Amino acid sequence: MAGWLARRTAHAAVTWAGAVVALFLLLRLLPGDPLASAADLPPETRLALAHLYGVDQPLLTQLGHFTAGLLHGDLGTSVLYGRPVVELLAAHLPATLLLGLAVLLTDFGLAWWLGNRLAARAGSRADRWANRALLAGHALPPYWLGLLLIWPLALTWGLLPAAGLADPLLPAGAGATRALDVARHLVLPWLTLTLTTLAVPLRHHREAVYETLASDWVRAARARGVPEGEVLARHGARPSLGPLLALVGAWLPMALTGSLLVEGVFAWPGIGWLMAESVGGRDLPLATGCAALGALAAIGGMWLADVLHRLLDPRVAA
Amino acid sequence: MRQSRRLVPALALLLCGALPRPLAAQAHGTIVIVSGQYPGLPIPTLTRGLADNDIQDLLFLRLARLGPTLTTSGDRDFIPQLARRWTRRDDRTLVFELDPRARWHDGVPVTARDVVFTFTRARDPALAPAHATALRWISDVRAEGERTVVISFAKAYPTQFFDATWQVPILPAHLCDTIPPAQLATSAFARAPVGSGPYRYVRGEPGQYVELAAVPGHFLGAPALERVIYRAAADGEARINFLLSGEGDGLEQLSLKSQQDRFAGRADFRLVTLPTFQVLYALFNTRDPADPAAPHPVLGDVEVRRALVEALDRATLARALFGDAATVPIGPASQSLWVQAGPDPAAAGDTARARARLAARGWADHDGDGVLDQGGRPLAFTLIYPGTSPPRRLAAQLIQARWRALGVRVELEPLEFPAYIDRRNRHAFDVDLTGVGQDPNPAGLAQGWSCGGGTNVGGFCDPGVDSLLVRAETAPDGGRALYQQALRRIADDAPAAFLFAPANVVAVHRRFAHVTLRPESLWIGLAEWSVTPGRELPRDRAAP
Repeated sequence: MAGWLARRTAHAAVTWAGAVVALFLLLRLLPGDPLASAADLPPETRLALAHLYGVDQPLLTQLGHFTAGLLHGDLGTSVLYGRPVVELLAAHLPATLLLGLAVLLTDFGLAWWLGNRLAARAGSRADRWANRALLAGHALPPYWLGLLLIWPLALTWGLLPAAGLADPLLPAGAGATRALDVARHLVLPWLTLTLTTLAVPLRHHREAVYETLASDWVRAARARGVPEGEVLARHGARPSLGPLLALVGAWLPMALTGSLLVEGVFAWPGIGWLMAESVGGRDLPLATGCAALGALAAIGGMWLADVLHRLLDPRVAA
Repeated sequence: MRQSRRLVPALALLLCGALPRPLAAQAHGTIVIVSGQYPGLPIPTLTRGLADNDIQDLLFLRLARLGPTLTTSGDRDFIPQLARRWTRRDDRTLVFELDPRARWHDGVPVTARDVVFTFTRARDPALAPAHATALRWISDVRAEGERTVVISFAKAYPTQFFDATWQVPILPAHLCDTIPPAQLATSAFARAPVGSGPYRYVRGEPGQYVELAAVPGHFLGAPALERVIYRAAADGEARINFLLSGEGDGLEQLSLKSQQDRFAGRADFRLVTLPTFQVLYALFNTRDPADPAAPHPVLGDVEVRRALVEALDRATLARALFGDAATVPIGPASQSLWVQAGPDPAAAGDTARARARLAARGWADHDGDGVLDQGGRPLAFTLIYPGTSPPRRLAAQLIQARWRALGVRVELEPLEFPAYIDRRNRHAFDVDLTGVGQDPNPAGLAQGWSCGGGTNVGGFCDPGVDSLLVRAETAPDGGRALYQQALRRIADDAPAAFLFAPANVVAVHRRFAHVTLRPESLWIGLAEWSVTPGRELPRDRAAP
C-alpha cells in the first residue's frame, strides 16, 4: 500500500505540474489585453505598467519567473488588485471551501441515504416523483433559482440575509454569535446549490444500487432469507460505494469553481468569482494562480477518490 | 494667486439642510455603503479602482480638494485640507503652508516631509506610472522647514494647482519611508493604513467589507457619523438586494431605468441624481482597419457619419435606457466637465435629413435587399462593444434597430473586455460603442481628440481642433470658450455619435441628514452626514 500511495502521489504531483505549465501557456494565448483594466491610461503609462507586471517579457521568460516564484510560494501580484496572488487566494478560499463542502456533504449524504431507498423502491410512485423533482432542480439555472429564493426569504419576510458571508456589524471575535451568523448567511447559497446539483450524485447512486440489487449474489442472499434491510445495506449499497466515491473526486473541483454564479448573486467571497473576474479581466498572474488551484482540486480530488477506493476495496489496482 | 473662473453651476448636493451642519458633540450612527468592488488597496499611489479611491478619500487628505464648481483651472474654488493657505511665488512656483493642527491617526503631526515623500513616490514612473504621467509637469517638490512645501513646475499652465493638490493624497513618511516601494502593497501598512482623514481604518475582511471609524476631534471638523461599513458585491443584483433587504444604506451606479425601478415604492430610500465624468458614444473609425493609411471605405465620408448621427433619436434612446438620468452632450463632454456646452439641441435626430444626405452621396437600395448600397458596396459595418456592460449592450441593440430602419446593416460584436480593448488599441473596428471616464481637467480632451492623441483610436484629425485645444490649455482665463468651440467643431465633424452623458443615480437611506455627494469622489463628504434623531436603526445604536 505504501509503495502504491507513493507512486500515486508522485503521479498526481507530476500531472499537476504539467497542468499548471499548460494552463500558464494557454491563458497567455487568449486574445485580449492583459492591461485592459488600465485601458484609459496613455500609451506610455501602459508601457510602464506592462513592465511593472512583466507582461512585456517573452513568454518563456515569464514562465521561468512564474516557475521560480511557484517554488517559493510566490504566484506574483494581481494586476486588478495590486495584491499578492497567494494572499488573495488565501483570503477567498475559506468561503469557497465552506460552501463547497457543505454542498458536497449534503449532496453525497442525501445521495447515499435517498439513493438506497429509491433503488429499493424502483418504479414506485415515490421513485418517480423524486426523479421528476431532481430533474426539475437540475434544470433550474442556479442564478435564477437564487434570486427566486432571495425574493421571499430575504426581501419579503426578512428571514435570512440576502447576501454576503457574515454581518459586518458584528464585533470581531463574537464567537458563537458569529458562527451562527455565518450559518444563516450560508443557508440560501447552500440551498440553491444543493437543489441544482443533487440530481447527479443521487441518480448516479440510485442506478448503481439498483443494478447491484439485480445481481446474482443479492438474489442468493434473499434466497438464504437475509432480511431485506440487510440485503440493501450489505449486499446492495456497500458494493455501490466505489462509483459514488469516484464521483466525489470529480466533485471537488466543481466545489471550487462550479459555484461561480451562485457566488455572484449571493456576494459570496469565494474563489469562483475571483477566477471569473481574473480571466475576464486578463489578470494573468491571478488567473494562473486560480487555475493552478483548480488543477490542484481536480487532481487532488481524483487522488483522494483513488485512495479511499483502495482503502475500501484492496482488490482495486493502482 | 492666479484667479480661477467659476465655470459650472454648483454641483455639490446638499439634500437636507441648506446650511452647514453644526459640529456634532458626539458621533453616532452607521452607514453601510455597498459597492461593486472590495477596497483592497486604498493607499495613495497604489489605488486600483473606484472602491480603493472611495476609501482612500476618507482615510487620507490632500493639500486641498476640489470645490463645488469642480473648476480645475486656477485655485480659487479649492477647499483647504492639509494646506491651510498657499501663495504663488511666480508663474511656475506654488508655496503651501501646512495646517499645524493636522495629525496622522497615530497622533504624529503632518509635516512637509510627508508631502515631499509622497510626491517623490508618485512622480516615479516605475512605482506609480499613472500618477507620474499626471504629475509630469511638476519639476521639483521641496520642504522649507516643517510646515512649508514648495512645488515647482516645468511650465506655466492654468491647472498647476489642480495637479499639485488633487492628483495624490499625502502619505505618512514616518510609517512608509522604511518600506521598500515594491513592498508597500504587501506591507502591514497596506493592510491597516494610517491616514490623516476624518475616518480611520478599523478592519477589513478581504472580498467582503472594510470598517472605518470616525476620528474624534478631527481638525477639519469631527464627523457626525461614527462608523462606515463599505461592503463589496460584484453582482449588480446582489448589490441592490443588500439595500432592499435592509442590510445596506447607500449604493451608486443605478443609472439604468430598470435598476431605478427596483426602488419604486420604497419609502425608506431616495434616489439622488448627480452629474458624472462619464460619456458614452459610438466612435466611427475614420481610417480603414485593413490599411490605416487609407480612409475608411464607408465611414471616412463625413456626410455618411453625419447621416448616421442624424438617424439616431438620441434623446429618446437616453430616456429609454436611463430615464431622466442622462443628457445628450455636444461633443465628448460629460455632465461634470466644467467646459461642457450643454445638451445637444439636435438630439432628437432627423431621419428624413439623414436619408437625403445619404442619397446625395449616392447611397440607395439598388438591389432591393433593404440595405443601401453604392457601386456594389453595401452600407454595412460592425459595431463592437464590451458584452459585460449592460448599458452598452442595450444601447447597441437600439442603435442597430435605428440604423437598420435607415437602410444600414450593422453587425453587433459583443466582446470580452480585454479582447475589446485589444481591438480598440489595434484600430481593428468600424464602430466602437465606447464609454469614457473623463479627467476633471479638460486638457485631457487632447488625448482622445487631437491628431496625435494617445487614446485617439478612431483616427479623427482636425488641425483646427488641435489648435483650439492647445490655445485653451494655456489660456489665462481657463479657456472655457475655446474648449466649447473645440467641442462644437468635433461634434460637427461627427467622428462619433455622442450618445449619452449619464448621471450617477445613488440610492441613499432617508434617515440620513446633511447628505453631500460629490461627482469627483462620491462619499468624500461623508463626515458631514448625520442620522436624523428619532429615525435611528438598530445598527446606528449598536455602533461601538
